[in-house]
Order: sequence, then C-alpha cells, then structure tokens
Amino acid sequence: MKHTIRQVFRSGKFVVGFSIFMGILLIVTFYPLIIRDAPLKIIGQGTFFAPGIYVNVYDSMGSPHYTILLDDAAAKRIADKLDDDDRQAIKEWLVAAGISEDAIEIENTESLLDLWVNNFDPTTRIPGMTNADRNYYIRLNTALDGLLSTEGAIVASVNPETGALEEKGVIRQTDYVNVNQVPNVRVLPLGTDNFGRDVLTELVQATAVSLRIGIVAGLIATFIGLVLGLVSGYIGGLVDDVIMFITNLFIVIPSFVLLILISFSIGQEQRGAFTIAVVIGFTSWVWTARAVRSQVISLRNRDHVNLSKLSGHSIAHIIAFDILPYIASYVVMALILQISSGILAEAGLSILGLGPRTTDVPTLGLMMNWAMIYQAHILGKWWAYFPVIIVIALIAFSMNLMNTGLDQVFNPALRD
Amino acid sequence: MKHKSSLFSILLGLLLIFSLSLAACGGATPTEVEAPAESAPVEEATAVVEEAAPVEEAAPTEEMAPTDEPAPVEEAAPVEEAADPNALPRNETLYSNGQQWGPVVGWNPYSSNNNNAMAIAQQDNARVIMFETPYLYNMLDGQVYPLLADGPFTWNDERTELTFKIKPAAHWSDGTPVTAEDVAYTWATHLKYSTPTGTGNVDFIDAIEAVDPQTVVIKAKLDENGQALNPLIVAAYVSSNYVIQKAWTQTLEERVGDDATAFLADPAEDVVYSGPYHKYFADDSKVVYVRDDNYWGQDASMWGKLPVPKYLGHVIFKDNAAGTTALQAGEVDVSQQFNANVQDLWLENDLPISTYLPEAPYGIGASLPTAFFNLDSPGLDQVAVRKAIAMAVDYPTIIANAMTDQSATFDQVPRSLMNPTPGEQAMYDHEAVADLQWAGNDIEGAKALLDEAGIVDTDGDGWREYNGENLSYVATCPNGWSDWQAAIEVVAAAGAEIGIDITTNFPEWSVYQTVVTKSDAPLPEDYDIFMMWSDGAGPTQPWGRIRKLISSEFNGMTSNWNGNWGQYENPDADAIIQAIPAETDPDALKAMYTDLVKIYLTDVPSFTLMYRPQSFHTVNESVWTNFPHEGDGTNPPVPPLNLTDGWSIAGLYNLELVNP
Repeated sequence: MKHTIRQVFRSGKFVVGFSIFMGILLIVTFYPLIIRDAPLKIIGQGTFFAPGIYVNVYDSMGSPHYTILLDDAAAKRIADKLDDDDRQAIKEWLVAAGISEDAIEIENTESLLDLWVNNFDPTTRIPGMTNADRNYYIRLNTALDGLLSTEGAIVASVNPETGALEEKGVIRQTDYVNVNQVPNVRVLPLGTDNFGRDVLTELVQATAVSLRIGIVAGLIATFIGLVLGLVSGYIGGLVDDVIMFITNLFIVIPSFVLLILISFSIGQEQRGAFTIAVVIGFTSWVWTARAVRSQVISLRNRDHVNLSKLSGHSIAHIIAFDILPYIASYVVMALILQISSGILAEAGLSILGLGPRTTDVPTLGLMMNWAMIYQAHILGKWWAYFPVIIVIALIAFSMNLMNTGLDQVFNPALRD
Repeated sequence: MKHKSSLFSILLGLLLIFSLSLAACGGATPTEVEAPAESAPVEEATAVVEEAAPVEEAAPTEEMAPTDEPAPVEEAAPVEEAADPNALPRNETLYSNGQQWGPVVGWNPYSSNNNNAMAIAQQDNARVIMFETPYLYNMLDGQVYPLLADGPFTWNDERTELTFKIKPAAHWSDGTPVTAEDVAYTWATHLKYSTPTGTGNVDFIDAIEAVDPQTVVIKAKLDENGQALNPLIVAAYVSSNYVIQKAWTQTLEERVGDDATAFLADPAEDVVYSGPYHKYFADDSKVVYVRDDNYWGQDASMWGKLPVPKYLGHVIFKDNAAGTTALQAGEVDVSQQFNANVQDLWLENDLPISTYLPEAPYGIGASLPTAFFNLDSPGLDQVAVRKAIAMAVDYPTIIANAMTDQSATFDQVPRSLMNPTPGEQAMYDHEAVADLQWAGNDIEGAKALLDEAGIVDTDGDGWREYNGENLSYVATCPNGWSDWQAAIEVVAAAGAEIGIDITTNFPEWSVYQTVVTKSDAPLPEDYDIFMMWSDGAGPTQPWGRIRKLISSEFNGMTSNWNGNWGQYENPDADAIIQAIPAETDPDALKAMYTDLVKIYLTDVPSFTLMYRPQSFHTVNESVWTNFPHEGDGTNPPVPPLNLTDGWSIAGLYNLELVNP
C-alpha cells in the first residue's frame, strides 16, 4: 500500500492534479472560516458591481485627511471626465453649431471648455443628431460642470430643526484619506452578481456545494456500477443477462436526457442540492458497471479465484477478497471521473434551470444560470461568470490529471 | 462617438458559450428569460372584458364585396417569399423584436390563437398596424384620438348610448369603404362565435347598430334604474377592438359553413384589413409586414401621409439575450423586451441606443407587478402579519437589482393603486393616505406592528407564532421570470428580518397559472405569497386595475384571468368599484378613489413590488431616428409603445433616416 502511494506520487501528472485539487479544497475549507460573510447575503443595491475596493464615502469624509501634492492630479481628474473621444465629440457639436473649425483647439482644455460652456444648449436641434447623441451631450455637459474649478467641495448636512444646510467642512482637491483609516471598506475581489451578492464568497461556497454534489453523485454512481458490475461479471448467466439488459437500456437513453426528465419531474420544491446529487448518481453508473463487469469476467477464471472456490469460500468473500483488489485501482479512477462528471452534470442542469432551488445554496451551475439570465456575458460583466468557468475547468482538469497519472502508474503498458 | 474595443468581453462571452454548451451536453435551453413583460398582458387580454349583444344577423343588405380580389398582397407574397425577406432594403425597414415569440399561426382577427402579437392584439392600447380601431388610446395624456372614427364620440344625456361616425375617407384594403355596418357586424360576429371580445363585453354592451352608413350607435346594457351598467367599458370598446370587414367575415362564414370552431381556427390568409401594413412574409424566424401604399390614412383627414418605413420586420428570437445582442448590433431598431442594465448599452458600450427617458427609470411605469397574499393561510388572515411583511420588504433592492432601476422607486411614487403616470397620480388625495403608505425596509416598524398584535416569538426559536404555530410561508412566482424571481427572493429575505420564515419556490408557468387562476377553491400550500401582474394604462384605468386587484366579483371563477387572485373580499370596496363607472363628477371620483386606496393600504390584500412600463421600449438609432422620447415636441405626445400600440403608431409617421 505504502509503496503504491509512493509510486502514485512519483507521477508528475498526478501530483499536479492533486495539488490543484487540494488547493481548491483548502480554499473551500478555510475561506469561510476567515471571511464569515453569509454567501447569499444581498449587499449591493444594484447589479454587477465591478471588482474593486469599495470605500465608504461618508466615512472617508470623517477620516483624517492628508494633503498630498501630486503634479498630475488635475490632469487625471480632467482626463477621467474628458477623454479624447469626448473632445472630438465636443468639436463635432461645436462645428455643427456653427463655430469655425479653426477656433477649436481640441487639446487646449481651457479654451475648449470655454467654447463649450458658452455655446452648448441642450435644446438646439442639430440635423442628423440622434436622441442617443443628444443624451450623450447632456451627460457630458453635466460631467464637465466645474471641471476646471480649483476650489474644494463643501460638505453640508441638513439641520433637522431649521431645514437649513450647515457646513460640515471643505474637501480640497489635494485631500487624501488612508484606506486603512476608513472604518468601512469592503473589498470585492470579484465584484457582485445580479442579486448584489459578493461573487467571491458565493463562489467559494458554491464550489464547496458543487464538490459535495460531485462526491455524493460520484460515490453513488460508482457504488451502483461496481456492485452491478461485480455481480453480473462474476455470477454470469441469467443474472448477467438481466443486469446487462438494464444496463444496456440505460446506455441507449442518453443519461443527460434522463437526468433532465427526472429533475423536471421532481419539481423545484423537492430539488435540494442533495437530491440533485442523488439523481445524478443514479443516472451515471452505467459505464462503470460495464467496465467493471468486463474486468471481472477476465478475472474470474484466474487460478487464485478457482483456488478460492475450491477452498469453499462464499461468493461474497471471493468477490471482496479475490476480485475487488484487482480492480480497485480502476474503481478509484472511475470514481474520480464520476466526481468530475457529476460536477459538470450539476452545472449543466442548473444552466437549464433544473438545478437545485435558486437561493437555498449557491452552486456553480446556478451562478452561471443567473449570470446568463441577467445577460452578464452580453454586457461584459466577466466577473459574474468567468471565475465560475475557471473553477469548473480547474476541478475537471485536476481530476482528469489525477486520473491520467493513476492510469500511468497502474497500467504497466502506459508506464514510461 | 466612442468605440472602445470590447474584444476582451467578446472573448469571454465566447468562452462562456463554449463551456456552457460543453457542460450542458449541447442543446442547452437557458430558461425562458422572456420576462413577464410580454406573456403577461397577452394572457390577460384574452381573458378580460368584452362582450356582445345578441345577434343582429345583419341581413345580406351589404353589397357583397365585388369580386374577391385577394389584394395584391397574396399574389406578391408567394413569389417574393423565397428570395426577398432576407434582402429587405435596410433604409426602408424598421426592425423590432420582443412582441412575437414564435411562428405566426394565423391572421384571423376574431381568433385569440393566432400567436400573431405584432399584427393582432386587441387590448387597451390596441396594436393597429394591420387592423384598426375606431379610436386610438394615448397612455401619456389619457385621451382617445379618432382613427377610423370621425371626430370624438358623444354620449346621449343619460349616458346609455354612445355615438360616433366613421371617416368618409376610410376604406379597406380591397378599396371598399369602411362603414358603420362593418362595426355592427363585427360585434355581432364576436357574439355569435363567443370570442373573448364577445364574452368580455356582453354584460355591458346591449347592441351596436349602424344608424346610417357612417354612424354607429353603441347601446349600453342598463341596470334596473335605467342607468348604463358600465359606461367606462362601453367607451373603452371603441379604442380596444378592431373593426373587421363585414364582406370578408361573410366570406369566412361561408367557407367554414357556420362551424364556430372552424371559424375561429381559420388562418384567414385572405383577410381584408384597413391598416397601413399587411403580411409580406412570415416564418419561424421573422415576420415582415409591407406598407399598403393605398392606405386610406394618407388622406388629409387622418395622417396626411404614409408611415415612413416601407417594411416592418419583426425578428423572432429565442430569448432576451438573443434580442439584446441583435439590438446591440443594430439589427433591431425597436426592442420590446427587458434589457437588464439597459444604460450600459450607451454608458459602457457607447452604442447609439436610447430609451424614452434618458435616466432611470428609462420608461413610463404603467402596471404594478404585485405580490398577493393567500388570505386563507394561517396567520395571513391577520392584517398585522400582511402589513408587517409588506413594510419589511426592501423595495429599493428589488428596483435596483431585479429591475436594474427600470422602475420608479416608492420614494418617487408612493404606493397606491395608481400607476406612476401624472394623470392617474392626480386621481387620489395624496395627503389623505400619506400615513398609510410605506416605503419598505421598515424592520422596526414591522416588528412593532407584530408585537402590538400579540404575534410574538414565545418559544424562542426565532420565529413568531400565531395560534401556537410558527409563521412560515412560501413565496412563489413562475420559474424563468427572472425579474420576478429576483423580487420574490428579496421578499423572502425580509421575512427572516422580522421573525417570519419565508422560503421561495418557482414552479413552471404551466403549473403556476392553473393554480393561481383557479379562484373557486382555496389556494394550495406553497402559494402563500405569489406574484401576478396588474392592468397597465388604458381607457378604463385606474378603475379597471383597481377592480382587478381587489374586487370580489372574480372569487368563485373556475378560470380567473382577471385578478384578485388572493380572493380578497370587502363589500365597501366592491360598492365603490361598482359606483365609479357611472360617476362623472371629478371631485366625487377623486374621493372614491382615495377611499379605495385607503382600504387597500389598510387591509393589504396584496402589495405592489415595483412599477413596470406598459411595454419596454429601447431603440437603436443606427438607421432610424426621431423615435418618441421625452420632450420630443410631439403634440399630442407619442407614447413609448414601440410605434405599434394605440396612439404610439403616430411615431411611425415621424421617423427619419439617420443618413438619408
């Protein structure tokens, strides 16, 4: 045993796959211990906040302010509101409004803004200008308001008694806060999803759930496949015929279709993560059964099996002690594959809207499903689905690597 | 304008699609995202309000339409069908999407099974590109404007008979004039074959008669006092129901031999119409309509010109995502579908796309998607529990997340029974109900209300009890209706905050609709809190919406597509609802509406979760421009209803090419 394990770990492929898988497992185990936020808590009012560090504006007003003098601060501030395309658009508008092209210096912010402020009128109807353009210019005009000002902004609050504004302080353009001193800062490394939930926290939880689904499904499928394969292969005859008849039936019907039908007929009320795992397990044992059976058939006429028979061992004993050890390595490999395909099957089901109930638990498939419903892929909100894809890919990849690694170790024909 | 390269996001999108198809073993059907937007009003329209007075088997006086020239259309279609529809000149075609979600079944304006939403939709804002109503309703100012009719309609002094004239210029596609006899015969046919229009109105309309070839009189059904039962519904008839040619109707009757089923099932490819467009091509990928250059409306008495686009193309997409992609690519000009985060299309993608309003809520809210309480569930028979749940719900999150801000907030438009349009908002006394309105997120208030009612957590398990039982409910809405599902999730989250256990459940629509519309028995378990729609904007509103939200007249119906699905019953409310249609004094009306709002906000039989536009209306101005938008200077204002519904068809005459 020890020797086998050492051999297994000598396989590069296995080690890489194993490390990735253990990495995922570690993150899934320890992340919730450190970050204790509820994974399904709606924190964002609005959909798909981009990844980043969110600093509370109100608190940062009250945090200590530091003056930092940076040369390019003003330029950056202007560039943020007025990029080259905007300048070009301003020029187009001014030209259309009858300003001579020579008078417009597109790079000279001051003169450009001067022209703009003096000439822009949102009610002007320029031939050929669409409503979308008009809206753009109005937005631009709002954004440009006070852009060149060097004054600070005054913070005021409403006096609850008089209703008058009372000055609280001035924020100058050179004021900075230290993020560490702001009491409320939320890091959203992967932003939020369509419900306004923290994607990273949700993703970790979803990975855990999906792994559990995969493991349950894999164990069930492998167990059923193994038992049926052993029995039909060893006993043979009528038992074999019956079991193989059933197995062939299942082979003919695509298991995913079966999966869809069963999930649909269970109804969403009953569709918890565990139920889905069981359903997946019960529809994906077929190939294991067939493969195990064929291995058993080749094993059952070996000398040591015959010897065992002559010694009067029971069928169960023979299967357990004389046959199972010889196919154990195969079964482990099959299990790994079953786990990985169980995870994929859950994702596939959830994408069809047939996965577990939406907000009991997050799963990888459900995250993709909601990202698609809210069109994250069309609107370019990559953080809502791309990390999910990566995780699914990593899990499947690591499992397949482990499997190939094991194969190389156990199958002498493949050994280098 | 700006063109940021979004190669990265395209790549990611491709990856997603690739991996999805892998994971789903191909052939994934990513749920019907097709939000309630479209399915809802359609279902609703079939069910409601229209009915007819018996017979009037219009004697064969009508001159039989001389020779059935089957209109040049039919000849043209088969020839061009093969080649043309994919090569329509872009500069003469206005593409839309979101109204039609499957192949067209037929063109029979009597039938409700045409699946031909783009051409046939008899509703408050009737779709009038092919068939026409006497009047057009304008949801923005609440007025009706004559279309086939000549001038405004008039009531007699007792408000029992409504009279209008048909425009002399109006004629059918076969050239024969539209007459009063057509209007009368249409009604008679609706009655004879019990169409939804017939059964919906027969309780309120006694007869529709042609006094002379131009003059139509609609006689209302009278109550025992000789008053019209419901003048509102009678008046609404003229802007929500098509006039169909008598001669063609008779042709159809002859063809089917008076077999009612066959009559309604006839695909009516030979139908005669009066509108500006007709069938050019239809298959399961698109429907194309071509302009009738002999359209009567170019007469000076109506539009004075033809509508601008020669073709109207409606692309049939699989789901909203496909529609959004086409809109982004400029393959769709007018999109009637829910585009999540629509502002990103112009703010981030810099596309020439706009909505009616430049900022949130982007459209004009017209209907009130509502969560109904099952009033028989233990605990939900208590007003305190109902109101506490309604108060605790985080509406800003629903509006920001589920609707991606495409709804006015309840701070902007406090809750009542009215939609956010100024006309309806003016119909109740805001001051008088201010104390009853809630803006949501009021956890403390909700807790206090429950404590006060003695509904507390006595056994310390975190959930409150009523009569010794934990308050535990299931909130539900149809699966795949994404914005509703997201909203229901937020409702459920509110429960936990106030000690009421609410879980969610999303059955399939096919199941959901049969359960919810069965009003002759108590609702089953798992339907404690459930979402349905309300009426939008129309000529009978807000009365019609209020009736459908709280009137008990629908209780006991086997198939109730009207409303009040929680089976609420309040005789006071019923009495006011019954009295309103006959009332004409604006002050008295306002007082009555205010009373209804008071009752509604006090009893909380259901609660509005968001405001929703009549139609979503997002336009891409790559080819066409001058779509209706706020402050576009049109008078009367053209409403944002995709240039097809009610008065919004006026927008078709204002379109201009971006690059002529």
